[in-house]
Amino acid sequence: PGWFPRVVPARGRKSRHDPPAKSKAGRLKLPPPVDPEELLVVLERYRQHRLVLGALRAEFRAEVLQKKREERLGREDSAELLEEHRRLMAWNDEENARQRARRSERLRKEAEEEKRRKLEVMEKQAKKMEAFMKEKEKEVLQLQEEAKSFITPENLDARIEECLDNPRNYNFAIDKDGRVVKRTVLS
Amino acid sequence: ALFTGSRLLKGYRGGHVVIRFALGGCANRPFFRIVAAHSKRARDGKYLEQLGCLDPLPNVHGEKVAGLNLERLRYWLGCGAQLSRPAEKLLGLAGFLPLHPMTVTGAERLRQRRQREQQVGTAPADG
Repeated sequence: PGWFPRVVPARGRKSRHDPPAKSKAGRLKLPPPVDPEELLVVLERYRQHRLVLGALRAEFRAEVLQKKREERLGREDSAELLEEHRRLMAWNDEENARQRARRSERLRKEAEEEKRRKLEVMEKQAKKMEAFMKEKEKEVLQLQEEAKSFITPENLDARIEECLDNPRNYNFAIDKDGRVVKRTVLS
Repeated sequence: ALFTGSRLLKGYRGGHVVIRFALGGCANRPFFRIVAAHSKRARDGKYLEQLGCLDPLPNVHGEKVAGLNLERLRYWLGCGAQLSRPAEKLLGLAGFLPLHPMTVTGAERLRQRRQREQQVGTAPADG
């Protein structure tokens, strides 16, 4: 035979940087011979094959999409899912109603609180104003009272006469309780 | 453990799903698994799904046995998987796809070569 057993296979022993062997120096690499009519026949066969393959792929794709769609939408019609959906919706409505009741209660209470507080404040204000007005009234009255004992140009002479007629002695002492000490000698 | 995890969760840029043969078996005993995998994976590496198998060596009765999961094949072809040439030829011979042109062409060439040999054989015999 032309071959002999090798310890290491020849293919793959040379890397791309090794030069080709001397026995391959005159080698002329040609492409395989092609029969033109066979080539035309083969090309036509390929064209038809690819056409059929494309159509098949399209059909399989449509099938897969249909299955996906059916799996996505078909489940809605089943009875248990509908019933569960209704149950959950009812529960949700109950929860909403409960929360709304609580919220309305809270809001009502808060409104009442606000009103009460406002009333209180207004009352306080009114009281303060009243007290203030009363104070002012009192002061005005007091002033009016005092005005009766003011010295006016008409009273001047009479008052002077009166003062001169009634000498008053302020020369007295006071102890810590505010009582007048009566032991001093009148001057 | 971290290394194996990162090896298993490999992500590729580009690439497509391909239905091809993954070689297994032992020395002088090949065995192909028909497999849907990413085109950039190793030939025998991690695949998406196994769609069948092929025993290239003829059995006791002279048959080459292959098994195919047509349901899942339709699914993967619908998802846009490409086919390798031997996979196409096998499916053509199985009847799931139309016959591959090169199968027909190869058969024709074989027939012509046999006819020529027969003619060459009868012509010298005639003298």
